Parts: sequence; C-alpha cells; structure tokens
Amino acid sequence: MRRLLPLLFCGLALPASAAEGTRIQVTGEIIDTWCYYSGVMGGPDAVVGSAHHTCALWCSAGGIPVGLLAEDGTVYMVLKIAQDAGSASGDTQLSLAAHTVTADGMFYERDGLNYIVVSEVVTDMDIVNPTHEDYGTVPPFSFPEPD
Amino acid sequence: MRKFLSLIALVATPLAAQDFSEGSEAQSWNLYAEVPARFEATVVDVLCELSGDCPENCGDGARQLGLIRTADDVMVLPMKNSQPAFTGAVAELAPFCGQVIEVDGLMIEDEELGARNIYLVQRINAGDADWIKANTWTKKWAEAHPEAAGKGPWFRRDPRIKEIIATEGYLGLGLEADETYAEENF
Repeated sequence: MRRLLPLLFCGLALPASAAEGTRIQVTGEIIDTWCYYSGVMGGPDAVVGSAHHTCALWCSAGGIPVGLLAEDGTVYMVLKIAQDAGSASGDTQLSLAAHTVTADGMFYERDGLNYIVVSEVVTDMDIVNPTHEDYGTVPPFSFPEPD
Repeated sequence: MRKFLSLIALVATPLAAQDFSEGSEAQSWNLYAEVPARFEATVVDVLCELSGDCPENCGDGARQLGLIRTADDVMVLPMKNSQPAFTGAVAELAPFCGQVIEVDGLMIEDEELGARNIYLVQRINAGDADWIKANTWTKKWAEAHPEAAGKGPWFRRDPRIKEIIATEGYLGLGLEADETYAEENF
C-alpha cells in the first residue's frame, strides 16, 4: 500500500491533457460545426454540401468554428489555415465554406475534441457534394425567393 | 486508513461524470443533446493552449477561445453565443481573455456525432459584477460595418458574404446552378 499511494497521487497530479501535435493529411469538407453537432437545422447529412453552403457562410462569418469533416466521419476543428490564424470569422476559412479539401497539418486532441492546424491546403476540390438535390436548401430561407 | 482510501476513491472518480446543471438558468433551445451547464472557467486561446502559438490578448477576437473548467481542467469549446443569428461566442468571451469567469448555457453532448464539451454560452459573470447576457455579437458587427447599415438581418448585408454569393451563388455551384434551382423551386 505504501508503494501504491505515491503512484495514485502521482497519477492525479498529471495534467488532464498534455497536447502534442501529430502531422496528418486529411481529405474532407469544411463544415459549419454548430449546425452539424447541435442538430438545429436537421440531421448531419442535411447540413453539408450545396444545401448548406449559404448557411455555412453565415456561420463562418459569424465566428462559429469551422470543422474539417473527414471521409471517415471524424470532425477536426480548424484553428489555422496556412498563415491565417483567423479561426473566428477569418477570410481563408470563409472562402472554403462547404469545399472539399485535402489538408496537411498538425493534429491535436483534447477532452474528446479533435483539432487541426492546417499548414497547407494541398487540394481544393470546391463543392462536390450536391446535397440540395435531396434536401433543398438548409435552412430553406437561405435561398431567397427571386424578385 | 479506510477513510483515507475512500477519500482517494472519491477524488479518483472520473470528473467527466460531474453534473454542472446545478444553479443553471439556461434557456432551452430544444436541441436534441442539450444539457444546462453553469461552471467557472478560465478563458484561453485554443490555438495557444494546444500548440504554443500565443499572441497577446488571445488574438484580439480573431481566434477561437476555450473555457478551461476550474473543477476538472476540461477544455470546453464555446461555439455559440445566445443570439439565434448564426453568431459565435468569441466576441462575448474575448474581453475576458486569461480571466476566470462563470458561464451559464447549454452543453451539447452527442456521442453518436462525437460532440463532447461543446457549449452555447448564454450569460457571463466576471468577478463581482452582475451577470451579463452573451448577446452582443450583432451590435459589435454593426459598429464594425457602418457601410452595411440597413434593413434585414446582418447575414443578408455582410459585405464578404454578399461578395461570395454574387460569384458562387447560394448553392456555391455557380450562378447558373442557382438559376436552375430557382426555376424548379419557386
């Protein structure tokens, strides 16, 4: 027991998360994370791609975090793209709303969330997910009725 | 010794299981995975916290901010302020960079989607001051964009959004795709 107690205290004293980055390359869509996670606009399949492009612009410009939704369903919170650390309403992330990209960068994990610091957007495939064919626009008023 | 071991067991219980809803006055948004949560936390620059890239003043509102909870050292990511207007939380929290504050709002926990420690902040208490509502984003946007003054919500008047939609369309697939969509749906 005398040996066990120091081990227990030692374990308790460790930081909850010692973040250390890992270099990764990820292909996926730049998404609006609030609508994706909260379900406020519907299911996850409806809040990606062309159906959600305008809403993704609104949320990105509004300072909501953008994410990189990888092909395996993992979401990486984007903290920086190349030299632009504007992760709250920054220009670079806004220009990539709903685009599918291949990004090279550093991966971090803390408390159940994944983060990526993108050093380079290797490929920008623009919008390749025509979800409006199935869902219309989400929300519907994001595409205003023409005059 | 038995009491001592019980104390250790209590401390070693996973803190993630804590309930932070006590005392919360958060308003429901009727979200599937929302849980009221009120807690004390330190406002941090997330990029700084993870990578060591640390400008002054948490990046002056340009970067995402985190809330490191005092009770368990968990970093919560506040994504939303309290306005139902496509607006984030950074503008509300940036004045408190590096400070210990109390927040009240809604936690989103959805294991299926991988949503953990995601937060909608509704009000903030800093020091001995009164609670303030986390609803200043649109006012700050209007002050920063006098050229975009007018009727309608901010997101219809924002110059950067208008510029992108003018070239890429609402669907983001080009203006021709928008025309086809409009013909078929209106």
